[in-house]
Amino acid sequence: MHIDQIELARVDAAHSQASGLDVEIRGLVKRFGERQVLHGLDLDIEAGQFVAIVGRSGCGKSTLLRQLAGLDTLSAGSIHFNGKDREALDDSVRMMFQDSRLLPWRTVIQNVALGLAGRSQDVRSRAEEALAQVGLADRANEWPSRLSGGQRQRVALARALIHRPRLLLLDEPLGALDALTRIEMQRLIERIWRQHGFTAVLVTHDVSEAVALADRILLVEEGRITLDETVALPRPREHGEAPFAALESRVLKRLMTVEALNQRNQLRGRVSEILLGPVLSEIRVDTPAGKVSAAISTRSLREHSLEVGAEVLAAFKSTEVMLATVE
Amino acid sequence: MSSVSRVFKKGLAGLLPWLLPIFILLLWELSARFGWLSSRILPEPLAVLRAAWSLALSGELWTHVQVSAARAFIGFAIGGGLGLVLGLLTGTFRSAEIALDTTLQMIRNIPPLALIPLVILWFGIDETAKLFLISFGVFFALYINTFHGIRLVDPALIEMGRSYGLSGWALYREIILPGALASILVGVRYALGFMWVILIVAETISAQAGIGYMTMNAREFLQTDVVLVGILLYALLGKLADSAARLLERRWLKWNTAYAAT
Repeated sequence: MHIDQIELARVDAAHSQASGLDVEIRGLVKRFGERQVLHGLDLDIEAGQFVAIVGRSGCGKSTLLRQLAGLDTLSAGSIHFNGKDREALDDSVRMMFQDSRLLPWRTVIQNVALGLAGRSQDVRSRAEEALAQVGLADRANEWPSRLSGGQRQRVALARALIHRPRLLLLDEPLGALDALTRIEMQRLIERIWRQHGFTAVLVTHDVSEAVALADRILLVEEGRITLDETVALPRPREHGEAPFAALESRVLKRLMTVEALNQRNQLRGRVSEILLGPVLSEIRVDTPAGKVSAAISTRSLREHSLEVGAEVLAAFKSTEVMLATVE
Repeated sequence: MSSVSRVFKKGLAGLLPWLLPIFILLLWELSARFGWLSSRILPEPLAVLRAAWSLALSGELWTHVQVSAARAFIGFAIGGGLGLVLGLLTGTFRSAEIALDTTLQMIRNIPPLALIPLVILWFGIDETAKLFLISFGVFFALYINTFHGIRLVDPALIEMGRSYGLSGWALYREIILPGALASILVGVRYALGFMWVILIVAETISAQAGIGYMTMNAREFLQTDVVLVGILLYALLGKLADSAARLLERRWLKWNTAYAAT
């Protein structure tokens, strides 16, 4: 207990120095050819804050992160770090990718030291230190191919940390890991964030991961921020706790509603026919544009008590048609 | 006791692949001894050994091997070096690809041996002609594999390198070259194989020294045993070059589990 207190005090002291960057995004637009991914997005992030961005794949959240990392050029708008143009502080930004992107032809420690200038002895000792922070000091001289997925991501984290980033961008870095390793990695990332005090932006599709780590959760839909929720839960957070679960389900529910009630890609119409099946049922809808058919599980059909003649909204996704009742 | 028998079994297992060649050699030797096989068609294996031995003793063998090996490797160095450099150039710079690749691809479709008449007109039947043919044949194996090796380097890794502050030569050394190396070494192995084929043809056309000269000379005097010594020398040198390339692969690509020494 005593040791924990000292550790906490030390951590808080380090945190209060707040070496993080503050981020200011104004009118950010990104187009890929004809397709517009970000529609004039505004966002402010305080220095040292941990922000999680959630949303379905293709909503633009990864594009936003890549803009922050300077990997793509902006189509319009501006990004400022600490009031300066983002290029001026490019060296203070590091990115962790979904696939670890370790160089297979370099050993673990050479990967960690990648791009670090200086005397080889200093570089090596700093790399060793960074590896120790992620608990992999004993694997320094192995090839990345010998490591598990979780260990590779820890090496990638050490590689980012060695540059002492003031803004760390995390692009679904835990997406490919198993549940247990993911929770371990979340704790590691949280501990290191508290120790270093950098600003962190995490893109994830896992709402519970966002709730576990972030000070603030942003929901991105169709290239816009549609929810900005502050997470006031004390740290460290436990996945099972009631307030945790409540917040998680609130964000999830919001995610679903926003999806269903999006103004574009939807048609208003009346149910003309319901074909009941044992597992899946088909619902045919008459709309001004023609007939639309949607599949729904028979069980949820019973819960919603949909009848012929009811007014519904048919929302189109790239691979499915969703129905919502009109109140 | 058991360990002895295990060693014995292991030795026996190692011998098995050699049983057939030994059997063929024995059959060959016996057929030659009993006169079923004329020595004008195929000399007995022992005679080939004797011929090799006496050529080695007189020092003639070494001169010829030296001359041939020097030709092969100088040709390889010139053609392979050019192929590597141009492959790196066209692989790295889109503008170099646009300027050079179409021309090179057209020339590539000419079999090097089809150039022999022209080469003799240009360079006569001297060393230059042989070196030119070998360089020409070797060039494309390295050029194409280097070009594709560089093009196939994972763009995600290059993006990562750039975002971690690498650029220019550092990016090349850390990511692009090592990423292309496996493909480049495949090119080296192809080139080495091709190098011997062209060398043999070039040397049989006309030469004052070299393994090809030795065998053509022996043919004139119906010394089939010496002809066979020459053929076996080509096989041996080819195998040596291939083993050297494999060694490089194992050393430079040891990070890759497909090449790791077992």
